[in-house]
Amino acid sequence: MTDENKHINLDQLWAYLDGVLDPSQAEVIQSHLEDCPLCQAESNRLEILTSQLETLPEVSLKKDLSSLVVARLKEERSLSPAITWTLVIEAVAAGAVIGVLIPAFQAAGWLPRLQGIGLALQAAANLFLTQLASSWLVWWAGLKLQASQLMTSFNLLESLPLGAFSPWILIGAAGGLVVLINVLLLGRQPLPNNNHKQLQV
Amino acid sequence: MAEAGEDALIMQVQTGDLDAYGEIVREYQNSVFNVCLRILGDVQEAEDLTQEAFLRAYRNISQYDPTRPFGPWMRVLAANLCYNHLKKARLARVPLEDERESLKDDSQRSPEVLLELAQESQSLYRKIWRLPEVQRVALELRHFQGLSYQEMADAMDLPLNTVRSHLYRARRKLAELMEEENDD
Repeated sequence: MTDENKHINLDQLWAYLDGVLDPSQAEVIQSHLEDCPLCQAESNRLEILTSQLETLPEVSLKKDLSSLVVARLKEERSLSPAITWTLVIEAVAAGAVIGVLIPAFQAAGWLPRLQGIGLALQAAANLFLTQLASSWLVWWAGLKLQASQLMTSFNLLESLPLGAFSPWILIGAAGGLVVLINVLLLGRQPLPNNNHKQLQV
Repeated sequence: MAEAGEDALIMQVQTGDLDAYGEIVREYQNSVFNVCLRILGDVQEAEDLTQEAFLRAYRNISQYDPTRPFGPWMRVLAANLCYNHLKKARLARVPLEDERESLKDDSQRSPEVLLELAQESQSLYRKIWRLPEVQRVALELRHFQGLSYQEMADAMDLPLNTVRSHLYRARRKLAELMEEENDD
């Protein structure tokens, strides 16, 4: 509890003043304070510091922020359905285009057809392209979004305004659609020519 | 604001009434601004973070427990927001600048906003702003918001011993600064 001079160390004194010591420790410190003028003076000094902090006057805010806050919330509220529907349309459109085009190119022999890990990589690439296309379409659609609002709506750690739901869900759903379409379309393709050759051998 | 009136306003806010929220903001903006100012030490930044805190509070209003007073919840939310803001700003700074930040001369800090206060209070504000950022947050949560060590640890998302150590260092440094002043 004490240093070599048998005085209470500062951290323990703070713990005592904060009331976080267990009763037996507090009692030891209490009785030491009663007998030691040096520690008593230190304790008084800390109590004065605490009191100065807790009675520190506040300064006045020079402007009314309530109108700014309410205006921002009203703007967000009016934009959130627009954001949501734009993202729905763009995500589905991008998903459908990519989901159809890539398998179609594969069927035409312009892109290699893949299975197993290759298919998973292709699905991941499609998902990435869908996200890229979604971002581009937001810009292309000319929706007058403030960058901060768009970033907020994409931030997983933020809660969205009431009535909106995360664009990540939409993009994830579009990605899932792409994967599904790819799997379905690839599943109906005939085996590649080299496999036919191996079977013939 | 009377407690019953506040409860009714909060209920209106929870159903999406933005005008009711405007009244809540008017009621608490000064105290929330002061939380931000004590932690950040910059008026413009404190105003920005005050606005941001109220926006965030509205978006998270479903997490607010209406059986507890709104003011303390709002002020701890603001302190937490300032803490995260400082952490992000710290990551963007190079280490040398960071070290300089905590030792910044107190005369550089927003003097105009303090003019309405007595000399003694102005001096204490400046001493608080000379503390390293994390210590300022610890001091705010303990001495201005009256949080327990455990509540502070939860708010700062740090282990209890780490928070206690930041708080003790803040107080020790503050006491030293006061002693220096008395010696001058």
